[in-house]
Amino acid sequence: MAMKVDMSALETNFSIPCLDDGDGMHLSADSPDVPSMVLPTCADFDGFQAATKDMVKNKRGTTTLAFIFDKGVIVAADSRASMGGYISSQTVRKIIEINPYMLGTMAGGAADCQFWHRNLGNKCRLHELSNKRRISIAGASKLLANILYSYRGMGLSIGTMIAGFDEKGPGLYYVDSEGARLVGNRFSVGSGSLYAYGILDEGYRFNMSVEEAAELARRAIYGATFRDAASGGCVSVYHVGPDGWKKLSGDDVGELHYHYYPVQKTPVEQEMTDAPSTSA
Amino acid sequence: MVGKNCFAIASDRRLGVQLQTIATDFQRVFKIHDKLYIGLSGLGTDAQTLYQRLVFRHKLYQLREERDMKPETFASLVSAILYEKRFGPYFCQPVIAGLGEDNEPFICTMDCIGAKELAKDFVVSGTASESLYGACESMYKPNMEPEELFETVSQALMSSVDRDCLSGWGGYVLIV
Repeated sequence: MAMKVDMSALETNFSIPCLDDGDGMHLSADSPDVPSMVLPTCADFDGFQAATKDMVKNKRGTTTLAFIFDKGVIVAADSRASMGGYISSQTVRKIIEINPYMLGTMAGGAADCQFWHRNLGNKCRLHELSNKRRISIAGASKLLANILYSYRGMGLSIGTMIAGFDEKGPGLYYVDSEGARLVGNRFSVGSGSLYAYGILDEGYRFNMSVEEAAELARRAIYGATFRDAASGGCVSVYHVGPDGWKKLSGDDVGELHYHYYPVQKTPVEQEMTDAPSTSA
Repeated sequence: MVGKNCFAIASDRRLGVQLQTIATDFQRVFKIHDKLYIGLSGLGTDAQTLYQRLVFRHKLYQLREERDMKPETFASLVSAILYEKRFGPYFCQPVIAGLGEDNEPFICTMDCIGAKELAKDFVVSGTASESLYGACESMYKPNMEPEELFETVSQALMSSVDRDCLSGWGGYVLIV
């Protein structure tokens, strides 16, 4: 039962001289035009993929959210990368700039998201060049969803939102590695998404100013980083309007905590006294 | 961590269930008597129950012997209580710190079934224990005075829990 895997990502649209310099750095074994991705030879390919996925420990430890309102789309995310319990980085850029009017969010495997968003950017540009007009958000998300569907079951872990502004107005789609593609007004993805939904759903109105919407997004991500151990770092907030996206803010979560809940002066119960000097 | 005729014992303050944070002011370092403290990492309910059982045993000891327990004796007591539950253990890794005779500091740690591990410099336990080992190893100096010991322990704790999702939300540091 051969699965038709979408190899269009590996298509090269220019010819590569096939040099044989002994090191074997070819793009493919036979000819430069046939794309090939080496698959491991093993009896249980799906089991192997599952084991690799476990080893890499993608647990979608993140919080990202996006919502449409009357002045465009707000996209926000935290910046923590975790491997199981270990924090590998507090400064990950989870909002990926696909092109000047489209943003994608990263949740799941970092490498997967970065590669496929970059690939989507390429495809969108090619579409622009061949059709003399920008691709719609619906079209871009469909391109990505189709690619991900063809890799379904192979261990990709991507939970992304494609947000942007096209001729029809603001657009927001949720696309994931299981092949789902959902259109909607409000989404939150990641381990902290439930906490973010609580704040986002409560404060959401369609008619808001850009500052109000940004503050709602910031507060929602902050709330998620409070409760979820796998989210933290900084909150980045972007706004996508008719002229494209603009980064509004990037605040450290620790500083936001004291901004929302300033330290109250409590009466001193116990003061630390100097240790009595011991006679030598 | 051991200093000059003093010791420091520290913990973070987060209580969580896997990724969800439940509380940010959970107490994990408990006093047995003025010169003996125990820190219990791991399952929150086992930490509280184990502490209550140990305090009970220590109070009985005080009534019988009319004095406080020595840290070495207390460590053996904890080890025995943990091994009693060898086939259904308390999910706790205790860290014991006390001042013995002549204010000689004593520290030790145990795994959840009571294997004692004595040390002369520092002991660590918890989800960030690997980070803590690294931080303490590089920051530790022998014979530190209390103020310097406090700084060292705080820095080691903060830098280690900043690299761990499951620890954080402040810290308690006690110097005796």
